[in-house]
Amino acid sequence: MNGEIYSASFTGTKHFKQQQVKTADATGFGAAADDYSERGIDLNEQLIRNKPATFFMRVAGDSMQGAGIFSGDIVIVDRSMRAESGKVIMATLNGEMLIRRFEETFNKVRLLPETKNLSPIDIDPYADFSVWGVVTYVIHSL
Amino acid sequence: MYAIVDCNSFYCSCERVFRPDLKERGIVVLSNNDGCVISRTEEAKKAGIGMAVPYYQCREQLEKAGITVFSSNYYLYGDMSRRVMDTLRVIANDSNEDRVEVYSVDEAFIELSHIPPENLNDYAIHLKNTVEQWTGVRVSVGVGPSRVLSKMANRLAKKRPGITNGVLVLQSDQQIREALEETEVSDIWGIGYRYAVKLRDEFGIRSAWQLKHIPLEWARKNLGGVVGVRLIKELCGETMREKKDPLEKKKMIATTRMFGAPVYTLEPLREAIATYTARAAEKLRRQYSAASSLDVFVVTNGSKGKPYQYQPGTDHRYFNLPRPSSVTHELIAHAMPLVTSLYREGVKYLKAGVILGGIVPDNSVQADLFSAEQQKNKTALMDVMDNLNFSMRGDVIRYGATGTTRHWTMRQDKRSPRYTTRWEELFEVGKGKVD
Repeated sequence: MNGEIYSASFTGTKHFKQQQVKTADATGFGAAADDYSERGIDLNEQLIRNKPATFFMRVAGDSMQGAGIFSGDIVIVDRSMRAESGKVIMATLNGEMLIRRFEETFNKVRLLPETKNLSPIDIDPYADFSVWGVVTYVIHSL
Repeated sequence: MYAIVDCNSFYCSCERVFRPDLKERGIVVLSNNDGCVISRTEEAKKAGIGMAVPYYQCREQLEKAGITVFSSNYYLYGDMSRRVMDTLRVIANDSNEDRVEVYSVDEAFIELSHIPPENLNDYAIHLKNTVEQWTGVRVSVGVGPSRVLSKMANRLAKKRPGITNGVLVLQSDQQIREALEETEVSDIWGIGYRYAVKLRDEFGIRSAWQLKHIPLEWARKNLGGVVGVRLIKELCGETMREKKDPLEKKKMIATTRMFGAPVYTLEPLREAIATYTARAAEKLRRQYSAASSLDVFVVTNGSKGKPYQYQPGTDHRYFNLPRPSSVTHELIAHAMPLVTSLYREGVKYLKAGVILGGIVPDNSVQADLFSAEQQKNKTALMDVMDNLNFSMRGDVIRYGATGTTRHWTMRQDKRSPRYTTRWEELFEVGKGKVD
């Protein structure tokens, strides 16, 4: 049952029906515009795949700057995604929360920073380690 | 068949999602106003911290045992509860919203007629794993032929975590019999302490298995009529209670809080009542209703300088509105004279509250011919206020009567950040020792 896909029953963050979208009623233009009316882009819908499992977090420090994630940025974290090698993840290690690139090879798990100032962490098989969630997007203010 | 999904020490479990350092360490959460312990992890239970024990009585014990104390963070718990329930709705494919019955903030029943009997165990495990994966909140799952039996399964699952892994399905006659024999009458969902004592002392009924076999007529006579009969039938595996309508409108709305510190003067009392009235009016408008009566009450305990009495006293004043209303300032205007008439100098006030009654749908409020326009303006004003307060949060717009200093508000010294509902309070990653 693991890995089941729920996409049909879960439609992002939409909480309204098509009837609730107000149509254009500018005189003379209304009818034509109506046929092409759409309700615009909703970032929640674009960036959140699974709402109950999605969390926002703020990044402090430069550990991931090589991946384009800077101090003060907001990351979107999805707990329902499987951590695959190469993904940026939120990890817990010895009671601490870390953002790193996840690397899984046949005999080793490593957490890689994206800065020269920090070194990769080899995960001991007996360490108190878990994947908290997978980072899906970063929001960076310019 | 029914499943109940029940969060383990829910409030503590929510705190742990953002505190991996506390994964295997004791946590307690205190009630409003940091009054007493309302949620405990297993570690805290083992350290001898009781449920509902006043904080000041167990403070030292908590410190010695290294248990982390949190003030209640209902913003966080409310959001995490919604996530848990949404997850269950997705798994149960509940697009008609009739399979998942949210029973309380931390538990929900799921109707399982769509699951083949041979898959029930796998399904229950899947429920648990998915909720924990998606939300981080720990849960236990009990499955049985009726709600009472699923509750019983859940209780046993929690009692024997090593064997059950937090999941127990009562399916075969043998499994159900063993569970019933193992469960004492007092541990059955829906049996109060008094009935349990009565059944044990007067009739020698100790186990759920014994109770199951009493005649229905006897239950009707000795176990509170229809309620008792239902319970026995549920124990036999018949489902009795109809699902309640989740959108059922409340017939009464009460808002009440303990004060952060005792209050002796009229002004803070009036501010508090105005604040609670505003909050209650907001709830009223959220369900499109209006109230026709207003009850203001205060809880007192002796007077200044005197020791606490054993029994606190309650005073209240009641008012029937000339016509039902949901307009905050109308309700406050009616509440203020009640507070003034209740107030006695020198008395120590611990708590106050407002109860709105006689609730009717707001479209049934009789239109007053001469004030139709005025009524429309009031409704528009309330809409604007509710919208602003909902989108900006923290009551950006409020009435002057509700006070500006608010010395009487609750103590919440140890509340965690509102990680999931406030942009300014998001969890910050990368502040640990490693980085």
